[in-house]
Amino acid sequence: MAITDLPLFSMLRTRMQWHQERQRLLAENVSNSDTQGYRPRDLAPLQFDRTMPTLTSIGLDRTDAGHIASLNASSSQTSRLGGYDVRPTGIAVNLEDEMIKVAANQMDYQAATTLYTKSLGLIKIAIGKR
Amino acid sequence: MDFMKSIAIAASGLRAQAGRMRIISENIANADSTAQTAGGEPYRRKMATFTSEMDRALDAQLVGLGRVKTDPSEFRVKHEPGHPSADANGNVKYPNVNSLVEMTDLREAQRSYEANINVIGASRRMIQRTIEILKS
Repeated sequence: MAITDLPLFSMLRTRMQWHQERQRLLAENVSNSDTQGYRPRDLAPLQFDRTMPTLTSIGLDRTDAGHIASLNASSSQTSRLGGYDVRPTGIAVNLEDEMIKVAANQMDYQAATTLYTKSLGLIKIAIGKR
Repeated sequence: MDFMKSIAIAASGLRAQAGRMRIISENIANADSTAQTAGGEPYRRKMATFTSEMDRALDAQLVGLGRVKTDPSEFRVKHEPGHPSADANGNVKYPNVNSLVEMTDLREAQRSYEANINVIGASRRMIQRTIEILKS
């Protein structure tokens, strides 16, 4: 059994990949902050189903009641970014907002890696190597 | 590694902002450059534009410096008959550079530059955290 077969580890791995992808989008937003006509983008929050450790929600978000619900998740955007849903967050880039998002992303990533380390420690205790 | 992509994107932002600063400093330096010939046109203010370009290798929207445009606004005209660049009426055209506007632009470029550096720092720390898993 590989270590990634454990639900906790695969969830943490998905979480870390999500943060990685988000960091890339935030970097794009910041570097394009002075580009005319550029729309900032962000990832939709990561949601886990209770039973499945895999990513389940990859549909477009409905931010207004008048929006048409997305039928399937196989839009061009989601397939391009490996299963994560990308949505526009505004008309122009707000540098302060992006900085806050970068900091939050970093802290959440740190939390995920710490949890990963702790879980590895638990396994080590279980096999008696500590 | 995706964090390397983030760093590359932020680096493209740094490069674009540095190019913008170069153009602003050109404007400031030439704020009083009059024409070489009598009655000719002085230095015309330049403006940097940015374009978002898709990088296939990185699969990301990099930013680049677009075409440098010139400001079509009016020149400042002063009446100085003894000036070597004065026309027949004794008027001298000075560049359409407003140093206050240039300084504001410079500040803005600096702010964007710092934001990109912040992103690089954050990505770097995230890579470090990943490596620290190995050390546990």
